[in-house]
Amino acid sequence: MNTTLANLLRARTGPMTSELVQKPGDFGLGRVPHSLLPTSTVRSICGFCATGCGLKIHLNAAGEAINLTPDTDYPVNLGMACPKGWEALAPLAAPDRGTTPLLRNPNTGQLEPISWPQAIDAFVTGLKGVQQRHGDDRIAFLSTGQIPTEEMALLGALFKFGMNGVHGDSNTRQCMATAHVAYKQAFGFDAPPYTYRDFEESDVLVFVGANPAIAHPIMWQRVMRNPHAPKIVVVDPRRTETAMLASHHVAIKPKGDLWLLYGVAHLLATSGRFDADFIARSTEGYDAFAAFLADYPAERCAAEAGVSTELIQELADLIARGRAVSFWWTMGVNQGHQSTRIAQALINLALMTGNIGRPGTGANSITGQCNAMGSRLFGNTTSLLGGRKFSSDTDRAEVAAILGIPLDSIPTTESLAYDQIIDGIETGAIRGLWVIATNPAHSWINHGRLKALREKLEFLIVQDMYATTETAQLADLFLPAAGWGEKEGTFINSERRIGVLRKVARAPGQALTDFAIFRLIAQAWGCGEHFARWSSPEAAFRILAELSRERPCDFSGIPDYATLDAAGGIQWPCRPADLIALRDPAPVPLAKPSATDALTPATPQERRLFADGRFFTPSGKARFLFDPPVAPPESPDAAYPLWLNTGRGSSAQWHTLSRTNKSAVLRKLAPVSVYAEINPTDGATHGLATGDRVIVESRRGAIPVDVLLTPTVPAGQIFVPMHFPHVNQLTFPAFDPHSRQPSYKACAVRLVVPA
Amino acid sequence: MLATGYSLPATSAQPTLALIDELLAEQQTLQTPVARYSRIHDTRPALSQVYRDLIPLSAPGPGEQYAFEVDIDSCSGCKACVSGCHSLNGLDEHETWRDVGLVTGGDSAHPFQQTITSACHHCADPACMNGCPVLAYEKDPLTGIVRHLDDQCIGCSYCILKCPYDVPKFSQRLGIVRKCDMCHGRLGEGEAPACVQACPTNAIRIVTVPVADRRADTSAFLSAAPDPAYTQPTTRYVSQRDLPSDLRAADHDAPRVQHAHWALIFLLVLTQAGYGLLLGGQHIWAGRILVLLGLAASGAHLGRPLRAWRIFLGWRLSWLSREAMIFGASAGALAASYALTLSFFPPLGLPENLPAMLQDAGVALGLGGVFCSIMIYVDTRRRAWAFPASALRMGGTVAVAALAFVLPHAAAGALLAKLAGELVTVRSSSLTGRLQRGPLRAVTLLRFALGLAAVATFALGAPLIGAVLFLAGEFAERYLYFTSVDSPKMPGVSAL
Repeated sequence: MNTTLANLLRARTGPMTSELVQKPGDFGLGRVPHSLLPTSTVRSICGFCATGCGLKIHLNAAGEAINLTPDTDYPVNLGMACPKGWEALAPLAAPDRGTTPLLRNPNTGQLEPISWPQAIDAFVTGLKGVQQRHGDDRIAFLSTGQIPTEEMALLGALFKFGMNGVHGDSNTRQCMATAHVAYKQAFGFDAPPYTYRDFEESDVLVFVGANPAIAHPIMWQRVMRNPHAPKIVVVDPRRTETAMLASHHVAIKPKGDLWLLYGVAHLLATSGRFDADFIARSTEGYDAFAAFLADYPAERCAAEAGVSTELIQELADLIARGRAVSFWWTMGVNQGHQSTRIAQALINLALMTGNIGRPGTGANSITGQCNAMGSRLFGNTTSLLGGRKFSSDTDRAEVAAILGIPLDSIPTTESLAYDQIIDGIETGAIRGLWVIATNPAHSWINHGRLKALREKLEFLIVQDMYATTETAQLADLFLPAAGWGEKEGTFINSERRIGVLRKVARAPGQALTDFAIFRLIAQAWGCGEHFARWSSPEAAFRILAELSRERPCDFSGIPDYATLDAAGGIQWPCRPADLIALRDPAPVPLAKPSATDALTPATPQERRLFADGRFFTPSGKARFLFDPPVAPPESPDAAYPLWLNTGRGSSAQWHTLSRTNKSAVLRKLAPVSVYAEINPTDGATHGLATGDRVIVESRRGAIPVDVLLTPTVPAGQIFVPMHFPHVNQLTFPAFDPHSRQPSYKACAVRLVVPA
Repeated sequence: MLATGYSLPATSAQPTLALIDELLAEQQTLQTPVARYSRIHDTRPALSQVYRDLIPLSAPGPGEQYAFEVDIDSCSGCKACVSGCHSLNGLDEHETWRDVGLVTGGDSAHPFQQTITSACHHCADPACMNGCPVLAYEKDPLTGIVRHLDDQCIGCSYCILKCPYDVPKFSQRLGIVRKCDMCHGRLGEGEAPACVQACPTNAIRIVTVPVADRRADTSAFLSAAPDPAYTQPTTRYVSQRDLPSDLRAADHDAPRVQHAHWALIFLLVLTQAGYGLLLGGQHIWAGRILVLLGLAASGAHLGRPLRAWRIFLGWRLSWLSREAMIFGASAGALAASYALTLSFFPPLGLPENLPAMLQDAGVALGLGGVFCSIMIYVDTRRRAWAFPASALRMGGTVAVAALAFVLPHAAAGALLAKLAGELVTVRSSSLTGRLQRGPLRAVTLLRFALGLAAVATFALGAPLIGAVLFLAGEFAERYLYFTSVDSPKMPGVSAL
């Protein structure tokens, strides 16, 4: 009676208390909410960034996803995930998902629901109409690094081999084109050489233009596990989260990186601190490089990079003394007017010091999107499927034979790059555009122009999860797509690991996977028989494995998804002979390694390239590539006195926010409206306090932002996160000549205080 | 725009139609878990090998409790702790028990920034618990975890006002608050709390800290957070670095307009005006109705009013509990007083002056209730609600209402003095002043326009119109009282 009375007066139990009770979840999970007890779990690879974390999806008895936790058995993330991974299911349930195809009614100007047969007919009639009026090559597609490789490959194959199109590119142009070209030129193939284990095995890590602490938190986890008390160098104009955790922050002037890296190379070359054996055995062009470096003494480079000569010397000393030095870069390098040469300046440093092919070394590009690596190999945009050339007769013949299609259906010319497609819209060379799972009206550089170009397009198709993106709002025809979690396929992560994603939710309404939409279009276009073998994502995977055979990226040894999953993902290459070692992998140790048990030979699950010192060039040698630094096309001046830098604002935000803003949790983890980080000195000049409103103005546009005063941004520079709409009204459309990647990170702006 | 004038298809090729049906059906099919590849594990949590060093080996001893310890040198700012807590605790879509924020400091030569993660600090002297009118909080005697009893909570939200770290979160769905319980269920089973499990860099751990006599060692508390002297938070923020002395939250002093709490505005203004009228002795009926409406409004403020009968439980510490009891007693006395005057009541031989005595007692108790109302806000330790400011506003309402029909000129003078006092706040450099001059400017102007109009009308000897203007002005004043209050919290992500 006392308990009852006591509970009546003070209710320690009851229905609301019970809501939060946890129960053992099995499947190695520990306790989980009792209302979300899984019946089973399945692994899927996260669909945001290229870290490629394994997520353990918790399923109910109907096979529906009810929750997820980071996978403890996956060698990438070792049981951890960033907030985007944890929230990966939330964007699927958003109320503004596209549930039916929409067609713009010419009378009302509104997008109105139509059926799939009508939509497919509109698609075919629309694009064929453009081709009939203007020519086959007047249509183009803009795709993404966010969809599985099987879908990208089917899109590229359908468009170019079935629809007679020539021009298609992907938003990977905005993030990874530079790394792709830099590797291709230097190594003979787009081959990031590393495995994440290298983060743990270096004693010197050099990060250039990378903020992995928040942009790739699970890679940073690996750095924090490094047991060798490593020196961490961060080259970045800002004192980023990563720079805060570094032992050396090299705060260069914006776009001072090429000077800095040449200055370091000069010191190493002139002091004889290079690996002459490795250079002789495995590289070509070193002598020319060394001669080139004569013009780049440390003093000159220090002045141009905005750092002290001593700092360049210290950096050179660190690299020279390091036992295992790894170089890492991402968008700060890739997005620049001379980005390919900057990436190659890092490759040069790794090559000249012999820091490649050994544990803890490498010139390593950290990839952006979850499947940028898949896009680079199989997007069929500027290179032919499997990293081949459209211009090569042999390559075309191989592809035609493997796919069972006529040789003459494969175009002989390369596609226009993203910026050239946009230019083509302006000149009339492109009249019909198909946009798949990307949002260029937000993300393309100087995007004010893109909306104006809309008027020049005769037919714009947008295929996306959401009918509400800035680009979908401009479409003539909208096709509703299933998203991550609603389909199967594979991604290739930053360390070349192929992983499987699983269908764990039903798509809303009539949304279909991109793969299904491509199959439908093939059928309706009249080229269905060419793609009959692409009957499912897994069937397509086997075609891709065949296309990879004997290529550097050979994964012909992987027979099916089940093998991939059981092995914890598989890094390419995986020839049939390699597979034996990958079966039944030992459990991944989750505890932090010790200094003694690291530096083991690469495990089958974690492999790196070039251990034999042989590269993919015809000579088998890696190339030194370099050019004199060129001044940015727009720099601050009297009228626009500040540098504008853009980049990732938080780990909780992704790209144009079309998915991450659908999660209430992720929305809480970053400011909700656009803001600018401004040095207190510049703030004082304009009388600004944190929380004030100010206009950031460039020669191309002006946007209002909230002020955040912080000394982490140097005086004379401001930083605005890229995720918010309108930011790219400000940016300057400069492009790297080799990769055609836009330079998002440096243009001139001024602050205008509203009256 | 659309140059192609295509006709919508009457006939699409048959195979395409068939394929559409097939693909739509396939899209809606999920493999059942039996059919799919799924992993079976032993029941031991796989992550235990990571977190076993991050939780204490044994329960706290006497004079000790559990506490969060954040190694800010390891925290990279990934914020996984927030989402891990959300998912592993099965929280509602918009509900998060952990927060993150940014602190910056230093100068251009030595710039500093750091992400700060925080949840409940499981204080040694928890303000939430001390203010709860129904004892819906308890401090676990063994672990020191401040637990919230969800089935006890009446949803008054007073703990939200009391906690200087913005920890308790109101759930609209449940009508109660919920908050971090340090995953006591997990700790009890030797598992780490969700945030500890989710941190990729092992920056959060559970430690045992000494506590004595409701005091904790707050020397390792975050300097950019509200003063730990008030509630004695136990969370430790540790670093091997020399942190700048000028650490500031990115949202420090950001002018955030706070919740208006309309039910509370009605409760306060109507009870205070009503008791004022009763005190003045004129328009008794109006006074009774205002008091009645005011007390009725208080129910509307509760997320779970049916549980409110327990409100007496917290009387030892909670001014809210005291206010409710005293207003209840007052209402009873006033009702009894009125009932006894009704002619149908049989003569009970009670003293003739009993109704008048009860009426006086009801008014006296009501004034005591108003004092409790004032103390409720004073006890939150918010600067804008300090005793002089709260007493001026709430006591002023009573005084002006009491004088309105008795001595209108005195009412005009009292109201003018009240307005002068409020003007000091408007003109101050405090956050409250900035809010009243900034985003709340229109309401501020309205408040003074109504107040001055009431002063003029009282002065001209038209108390009825004056009283209406006065009452309207008091609503505006109380709206400002709530919406412009300073609201201490842990560092957040944004200035706005």
